[in-house]
Order: sequence, then C-alpha cells, then structure tokens
Amino acid sequence: MTAFIIRRLLYTVPIVVGVLLVTFVLFTLVGGDISYQIAGRDADAETIAEIRREYGFDKPRFIGEAGERLNSQFFDHFKNALTFDFGYDLNREKITERIWRGVGPSLALTVPMFIGTLVISISLSLFVAFVRGSIWDVTLVVICVAGMSIPYLSFIIFGQYFFAYQLDWFPIFFVPDQSIWVSVALPVLIGIAAGLGNSLRFYRTVMLDEMRCDYVRTAFAKGLSTRTVLFKHVLKNAMIPILTNVVLSIPYLILGSLLLERFFGIPGLGDMMIQAINARDFFVLNAMTFMMSLLIVVFTLLTDICYAWVDPRVSLE
Amino acid sequence: MQKLNYSLLFVLCCAALYLTGCGRRAPKADEDQMVLHLSLPTKAQTLDSGNMRDVYGMMVAGNIYETLYKYHYLKRPYEVIPVLAADFPTISDDNLTYTIPIRQGVFFQDDPCFPDGKGRELTAHDFVFAIKRIANVKYRSQNWTIFKDRILGLDEFREYTTDFKEEWAVDYSYEVEGLKALDDYTLQIILVRPWPQMLEIALGDTASSPLPREAVDYYHSEIGHRPVGTGPYRLNVWRRGSYIELVRNENWRGELYPSEGEESDAEAGLLDDAGKPIPFADRVIFRVIEEAQPQWLLFMRGELDSSGIPKDNFNEAIDASVQTLTDDMRARNIELHTYVDPSTFWVGFNLRDPVLGKNKPLRMAISRAINRQEFIDLFANGRGMVAHGFVSPGMNSYDPDIHTYGFSRYDPAEARELLKEAEAVHGGPIPPLTLGMPGTDTFARQYGQFLQKYFSQVGMRLDVNYMDWPTYLAELNNGHLQLFSSGVSASVPDAIDFLEMFATKYFAPGGNKFYYSNPEYDTLLDRVQVMFDSPERTELYRKMERMVMADYPAVFTTHQVSYALTHGWYKNYKPHTFSYDVLKYRRVDGEQRGEYRDVLAELKKK
Repeated sequence: MTAFIIRRLLYTVPIVVGVLLVTFVLFTLVGGDISYQIAGRDADAETIAEIRREYGFDKPRFIGEAGERLNSQFFDHFKNALTFDFGYDLNREKITERIWRGVGPSLALTVPMFIGTLVISISLSLFVAFVRGSIWDVTLVVICVAGMSIPYLSFIIFGQYFFAYQLDWFPIFFVPDQSIWVSVALPVLIGIAAGLGNSLRFYRTVMLDEMRCDYVRTAFAKGLSTRTVLFKHVLKNAMIPILTNVVLSIPYLILGSLLLERFFGIPGLGDMMIQAINARDFFVLNAMTFMMSLLIVVFTLLTDICYAWVDPRVSLE
Repeated sequence: MQKLNYSLLFVLCCAALYLTGCGRRAPKADEDQMVLHLSLPTKAQTLDSGNMRDVYGMMVAGNIYETLYKYHYLKRPYEVIPVLAADFPTISDDNLTYTIPIRQGVFFQDDPCFPDGKGRELTAHDFVFAIKRIANVKYRSQNWTIFKDRILGLDEFREYTTDFKEEWAVDYSYEVEGLKALDDYTLQIILVRPWPQMLEIALGDTASSPLPREAVDYYHSEIGHRPVGTGPYRLNVWRRGSYIELVRNENWRGELYPSEGEESDAEAGLLDDAGKPIPFADRVIFRVIEEAQPQWLLFMRGELDSSGIPKDNFNEAIDASVQTLTDDMRARNIELHTYVDPSTFWVGFNLRDPVLGKNKPLRMAISRAINRQEFIDLFANGRGMVAHGFVSPGMNSYDPDIHTYGFSRYDPAEARELLKEAEAVHGGPIPPLTLGMPGTDTFARQYGQFLQKYFSQVGMRLDVNYMDWPTYLAELNNGHLQLFSSGVSASVPDAIDFLEMFATKYFAPGGNKFYYSNPEYDTLLDRVQVMFDSPERTELYRKMERMVMADYPAVFTTHQVSYALTHGWYKNYKPHTFSYDVLKYRRVDGEQRGEYRDVLAELKKK
C-alpha cells in the first residue's frame, strides 16, 4: 500500500508541472498583456511599465538572464503555485484569502446538493432496478431522459421564478443577514432536481448490472428478504462505481456551482470564477486552475485507495 | 410502527424545509430604520478614491467621500457648487493660480487609523496628499491622466517617485510648487496653463477626494477595502463581490435638501423635502446581482427600490408603441425615468492604415453603409439615439442642428457610389478590412455580424477579430487595429473630453486612437482648452466637431438612452449623470413600501 501511494504521488509531479506549464502558456502568452487592462484605457507608458515591474511581466518569459536563470516569469509562476502564494488579484486583494472565503458558501451549496442527489438517486435506482421493466421503471427512465434533455439553466430560471418569485417560498437571492442555509435551500433543491436524471440513470445501470449477477439469484433462492438482498449485497457490490463517482466529485464540490451561485448570489468559488472570467482576472483563474488540478490528482489517488478498502479483491501492490 | 416512522420522517423533512426557507415571509429588518435597497450589476473593484475609475465603485464611494466641488443635484443645465470648499476659488488674472478656501469643521469618519479612533478635522493638507498620491508612479493610479501636465511641479514629483522601491516609501514632503496648503484651510493650485474645467474634471472627481494620510499608512494595501472619508455615509459591511452596506456617518457636517431646481421639479415632487436635513436614509444596502433575472424579480417583488430594464423584460415594462410604462407597471405604482447618457459609440478608423488613412471616400462609404437606427432597435430596444456627431446630447455645448449635416446618414446607394470613388483612389478593389472587437461574448459576435452584413450589402468585406480586453487595449494603443469598436462616456457636461480625442498631441496611448491629425483643429483645440465657458467657445466647439465629422475618422453610431424604473415609495429620484453622491437626497416612504405586498396580492388575484 505504502509503495503504491509513494508511486502515485511521484506520478503527480509531471502532472503538476504539466498543468503549470499549460496555465502559464494559456494565461501569459495567449491571454495578452494584462498590464494594459490594469492600467486603464489611456494610461501612460510609465504606469504600464510600473505595473509590468510590479507583476514581474518585465522579466524574461521562461529562462532568466545569465547568472540568474531562475529569475523568469515561468519560475515565479512555478514558485508561487508550489508555495500556494498566488499573490493579489486585479483589485489588490489576496487571492488565497478570497479562496478561503469562498470555500464555505460553495460547500454549503454543493455538499447538501450532492448528498441529496446521491441518496435519492441510489435509493430510486435500487427501486427501479428491482422493478425493472415495470411501469415505474419506464416512467422514471422517461423522466430521467427528459430531465437530462432540459438545460441546467432552464431549471434555475424556472425554479427561481416559480418557487421564489411566484410562490414566495424561498428568497430570490442571497440574504446576507440570515443564515446561509436560507439562501441555499432553493438552489440545493434545483441542483438536486437538475442532477437527478443523469445520476439516476447512471446508478440504475450499475444496479441492473449487479441485479443480473448470480449471487443475487442465489440470495433470493436462499430466502433472504428483498431489503437484505438490495441493501446488504447489491449495494455493497455496486460500491466501486459509486465510490468513483463520489470521490472524484469532491473537487468539483469545492469549486462550487458556477450558474447556481451566480443566479442566487451565493458568494462562493463558482461565483468568484465567473467574476474572474468576466474581469479577465488571470491571476485568480490561474490559482483556481492549479488548485483544481491538484485536488483532482489527490482525490484520484484517494479513490484508488478506497477501492482496496471496499473491495478485498483489489490489491494496491 | 413503521408507518409512524415514515410519517415522522416526512414531518421532519417539512419542518427542515420550512426552517430553511419554505413558507418564508418578507424580511422585517427595515421597520425602525429607513433603508435604501439598491443593486450593482457587477462588484465594486475598489473603494480607494485615488485609483477608482469603475462606475460601480464610484456609485458606492461617492457617498463615502466628498470633493471640493460638485454639480447641483436638481439644477439643469448642471451647475457647479462648493462642497468641501467654503467658496469658489479666487483665480489670478492669468487664470493660473487658484486659491481655494477649505470648509472648516469638517471631520473624517471615525476609524481605527486615528488616535482613539476619532476622526480628525479635514485640512488643506489632505487634498495635497490625495493628489500627490495619484502622481506617485509606484501607486500606479488610473487617475494620473487627469492631472498629467496640468499642475506646476507635479510631473517632476512623479519623476521623483520613480526612485523609490515601493509606494509606501515615497516622501510626500517633497515640495510641489503648484500644489500647496497655504494653511490648514487654504489650498493653492498653480497650473501649467489655464484649465477652465479644473473644478469639474479634477476637483469634482472622486479621485481628488481628501484622504487622511493616517489611513493610507495604517491600512497600506488594504486601503481599497477601508475607505475613510468625510461623506454622509461610511462603510459598515463589505462582503466582496456580494454585498455592501453603508450607514450614516455620525461625524458628517450636515446639509439641507436643496430648495431650488428646474421648473418641473416642484411638480414632480422633487422639492417637497426642500430645506430638510439630509441624509434621509439610515442605511444603504447594495447587493451585487450580476444576472438580469434575479435583479428584475427582486425589483418586481419590491426588494429593490430601483432598477434598469433588462433586455428580456423590456416588453413587460414598456409599451414599445408609445415608449411608456405598461398597465401592469402602472398598477404597481412604478415610475419610469429616461435620460440621455453622455456617451458616444463608434467604429473607429486607424488613419495611419494605408487603406483607410488616405481614402476619405472609403471612410464615407462605410459611414453611409451602416444603418444605425436598426442597431438601436435590434440591440437596445430603441433605447438610443443616432450619433450625428461625436458630442453627446447630454453636453452643454451640444449642437441641436448637427443632424442637418447628414454625417451619419444611412444611404447604401450613395455608399456604393462612394466605394467606386474609393477604389479609384486606392487603385483597385478595396481589400477586406479587419475590425478589432473588444469581447468574445454573444453581444460582441452579434454586433460583428451586424456590421459584416452592412459591409457586404454595399460590396465590401469585413473580417472581425474578436479579442479579449487586454489584447484589444494593447493592440489599440499600439495602433495595430485597422478598424476598432469603441465608445466613451463623458465625466463632465463640457465637451472637451470628446474634442481632445482628435488632437495630434493625444495620439494613442492617449485618447486619440484614430491618429486623426489636423493642424487647424490642433490650433483651435489649444485655443479652446484655455477658454472659459462662453458663447464664443460653444461656437468653436461646434465648429471643431463639424471639422472632425467632415473628415470621417469613424462611423459614429449611437448615444445611449437610459431607462430607469423606481417604485413609487422611492422619493427624490432625479437622474444625475455626473454625480455619484446622490443617495443622501433619496428618501423612502415606509408606509407605501409596506403596502406593496397588498398590491402584489391584488395583482395575483387578477
């Protein structure tokens, strides 16, 4: 196990370097010289030069000059990322502080949404797998496909208009002086409704595969109750795909939900990302891309470890 | 038993939903206080007055900071009045030396940056510091262009600051000959050359608001989030990117609601509060709402006092046939306010370009080929005016007859004729032209396609290069764009901002992105730049506008017309396009606001 973890950690090194290289090229070479944007429309040459100096844009791109080879934009980018010092955004606010501030609201939205979707879709998938081919199964599959066909944005626009504005059951928008749970209640329900179709279809397939296995027939033949067969045997054996889905989703939970946060004013990381995109704040985008890639690498490793934990047949050696 | 468990679970779920939001009623926070509920379509970038140029930051900061002078809230044409200045300046005979008396008894808001947290009295030194700070190259203020080449010795001070490693190390005791506090209550400014608009452009701009040195030293780079001003409100809460709350500044000097205005103001109820002490509201809440739907729904539910009209909700609010409010809006007692923004938009020509620069028939042909009215109808629901000149109708010197010259006439037949002439000048068919478009979003692409359509209708080809903003700015300022889509909004009702865009001395990266150069125009500009407002200057302004228009350095397309909606309870709302310190005049009729729920219930029944 230890050797496996060490080996996998070593694999992350080229991945992280690759991510840093790609983000550097994207945001530095392709994205244009951001100094002009920071300086403003009619800024003079000195102001632009000062900005370039402050942000290090006046340094060589990849390799520094003789005697100070590491004094380049790329190595600064590399160093800042590895020390998690992402510096300041375009408005001179510390990016790390912004990220920390946004994690809470994002998780308040995405965790209940994720758990709700997971619990409902797994429960329903067990049910429809058990009654496969019945009117219940067909109806739910039709609803799932319909739900998957409707754009996410439509769920948000309709949900906000109908439940918050027309029925007045929920706040239309983030209410700062009340608990965050008041503001996230509707977005969570919308997120669950919008994500259920996709999720339910996935888990239904997983459960159906399991239901067709011999051990299920054997269990029923031995006279075990439906509940025992479904929850004790089928669910346990379906854990590998469920785990993959769950653990690999965690980084995205931290990132938040771009659209839901924006429409409901939840001050999370998703909203921060959209604001950064609109403001062309490459510093924030760069930091978030790096953090995201790191989280994905870590949670992929965690998924592999979990496989061994839930399935004794999997060996990590 | 099992049934009971499921029932219990169901009840618990319902209770949880109820507690977290379902079944909620309107918040009751405003009962004992007057609160203004407003929205911002994007977050305020900074509240540091010295480096602020974003409109939304100024909408907030304009109520925290104050300036020496400002425009009267109600009077039109706009009239400058003293605020932190005790009176108008004494100006020397050569119009170069301004001696400004500073109002006594004005205090900064309480803040931890002061000893014991008590705001100290404002002095002339605070203005000197604020302007020197903008000149500090290490501070890299976007507002430096306002003061560049204007005040005696200030450019030298900027040069001096280049030797310092960082902003905080600069020694502000370095003397600037043209910027001195003669004593605590007298500010002296000596100009390099006369600057008739200084009061409005420089001393009325939030950038020159006095800032206590203590605050900058105390907060350093955090100063953008910790504004310390002398205005009627102070910052109470700022959740960056989502929520700003201002509360009354207990140290504010106090002011009375104006008792004079335009003739129509009394009829509109704008003078009902004349002579009453302001500010009326105890708190001001700004919510950052970037999407149109929630912003619109909050307004319709009465959770916002005012709103613009999102494009998708235009027909719900406005009866397009008569451009007035729909019956539903009237039933809600919503009021419509329309006003011309001091803005002009254009498709500019780079006159250094070998194809466009020496080919006026080509530029004319392009101008004749674009149907500006269709753009206004299609993209702005009719909320715009065709730009017959480049000076916006909101300007004092606007020429009401400019349309008679036909510079912006849409005439595709004439465009085709002009194109033949242009081909003769060019010596062959005109090659495809390339437009630099700032933005890659849907609007930018639709606008690009709109222009391409009109180019092709007269036999020309336009390629559109959609760019992100930094790339666009760099290309524009380096003169690399052949055609470019752009626009400007004036900060004062004096057209000088527009006229300076065509001076040779302001070639990009200055304001002249067209590289338009006309020696006669330059001479006239030098003349009007030092002239105070007079009928003669107005005539010269108009003459200069026609000179530029006749050379076709751009296709001037539109002036924006803004539509604003307010609820009936939101009192004293008068659009003011050149001031941001307007919230102290606004009042809310709490009873009327409370009754809105009944109005909504009635509408629902219907």
